[in-house]
Amino acid sequence: MQTSVLDWLDARACDHAEKSAYICGDVAVSFKELSDITKSVGTYLAGKIAPGQPVICMSGRHPYTPAYFLSVVRAGCTYAPIDSTMPVARLKQMIEVADAQYMLVDRGSYEKASSLGFEGEIIIAEDIADTPADEALLAAARANITELSPLYIIFTSGSTGKPKGVITSHHSLMCYIDAVSEVLKVDDTDVFGGQAPLDYIAAVRDIYFPLKAGATTVIIPKSEFAIPTELFATLNRNKVTALCWSVAGVELPAKLNAFSEAKPEYLKKVCFSGSVMSPKLLRVWQDAMPDVMFVNQYGPTEATASCTYHIVQGKVDENTVLPIGRPYKHYAIMLLKEDNTPALAGETGEICVKGPCLALGYYRNAEKTAESFMQNPLNDKYRELIYKTGDLGSINADGELMFHGRKDRQIKHMGHRIELEEIEGAAKCVDGVRTCCSLYQKEKELLYLFYTGDAAPKEITLYFRAKMPAFMVPRKIMQLDELPALPNGKIDMNALKAYFK
Amino acid sequence: MEKVLEILEELRPDVDFENEDSLVDGGVLDSFDIVALVGELNDEFDIEIKPSDLVPANFNSAKAINALVEKLMDE
Repeated sequence: MQTSVLDWLDARACDHAEKSAYICGDVAVSFKELSDITKSVGTYLAGKIAPGQPVICMSGRHPYTPAYFLSVVRAGCTYAPIDSTMPVARLKQMIEVADAQYMLVDRGSYEKASSLGFEGEIIIAEDIADTPADEALLAAARANITELSPLYIIFTSGSTGKPKGVITSHHSLMCYIDAVSEVLKVDDTDVFGGQAPLDYIAAVRDIYFPLKAGATTVIIPKSEFAIPTELFATLNRNKVTALCWSVAGVELPAKLNAFSEAKPEYLKKVCFSGSVMSPKLLRVWQDAMPDVMFVNQYGPTEATASCTYHIVQGKVDENTVLPIGRPYKHYAIMLLKEDNTPALAGETGEICVKGPCLALGYYRNAEKTAESFMQNPLNDKYRELIYKTGDLGSINADGELMFHGRKDRQIKHMGHRIELEEIEGAAKCVDGVRTCCSLYQKEKELLYLFYTGDAAPKEITLYFRAKMPAFMVPRKIMQLDELPALPNGKIDMNALKAYFK
Repeated sequence: MEKVLEILEELRPDVDFENEDSLVDGGVLDSFDIVALVGELNDEFDIEIKPSDLVPANFNSAKAINALVEKLMDE
């Protein structure tokens, strides 16, 4: 039985030594090199850092970044990846949550890393990549890892205005990768085209399919997503067979009418998740690529990326509502009503997840952890945790799970999860904003901010651009004399929706 | 040109479109900006920007974007 992702890495360094694990442009890292780098960098880290500590990783979009994450794992530690292109204020919040003593960066990120007021030590990975591997030291560090040791901390939006760090074990990640590999029939002939930012939950597939199955991941430069001819050329040049992308990413080429001029010739499977796929745009893909298998995935970061899947059967039309399907192996789903009783067939309830894929919780946040990961109310016989997703669902006549939106004000925008309260919290920090309300127009994928006060809309945009990731910047900002109110004094959000264009 | 600038400024008020000449190559506009922009330009000028038009050279500056729009309007 395997204990950690290092077991996968060691096996691939033997049976696929010379094969490329990660590629970006002309740079490729073979499994042997990957293992060697992680041993060198890992030896250096293990000599300094006690096992079990979090290490913040800030490294660019290139094939060495996964190697640096895994170097932290070699040292018996937990990696907490952050993206240097995020605004400084956001990065500072993440650093505060991680409360780490060390940050591992690539040379290109060093300047940014140094500007964040980080009080620990910043280590440049390239500078220590020649450290001779100390097998005894690495073995000692590894002896601390069990299946339940934390592998990574990944940050998501939190309604309090502070990102939450979801902390996940080796076991959870390995269960997920095992389950999704089975559905997608991943093997060493597969070449994945990686879309997700490497610090983001969706990237775990691109990072770990190579380790699990000897597949290769091509990390696609972000700029190519705006230029579909370049995007498809990259997919074809690398003979990419599979994509696991956010819905927003999959929709892009269809929106830009990319298939009229070129096609990804080698593609066999496309898996999407993160939000509800437009059936119209899925149909564009199906018409252009009739032999490709399309898989709709659903699940939160807290249940390790995805917990249910649905393989699309036949061609969809614009009225098709895709199920989110059935639980993956290693996952179980239940639907709970408000009164904590089970929803019956056809009834809507909150989607709750159980099984070994539940995250270990929110890092350094026992209160939020206890709120979201709780004892199964249907089980008073022994300890069994469930994660309450906040999503609503029902089981259809075919026994498949259907998605019915959120219980709260969390939205999915451009594949990212956003708490609208967090947008409002940020807007209220702008001088001259008195009251505000943020809403999402799903049909047009527009994030709105309505506010009262003297601030100019431009000032608000500039504030958001400086403090928040791009996907959290409202695209439509409207100044009003007053916000419409309900009789109880709360903001009348339905009345505000009349302003949607 | 004025209308193009207006659309750009509404999309990204934080960018100096009069002087920036590396909007795509410099990573100023991301793929979601481009999709939103293409949609607005198509609607506003009743043109159809094709995938082959989506090259950095056509989107690196407000001037280049305007030139693309004018070219497509002539077709």
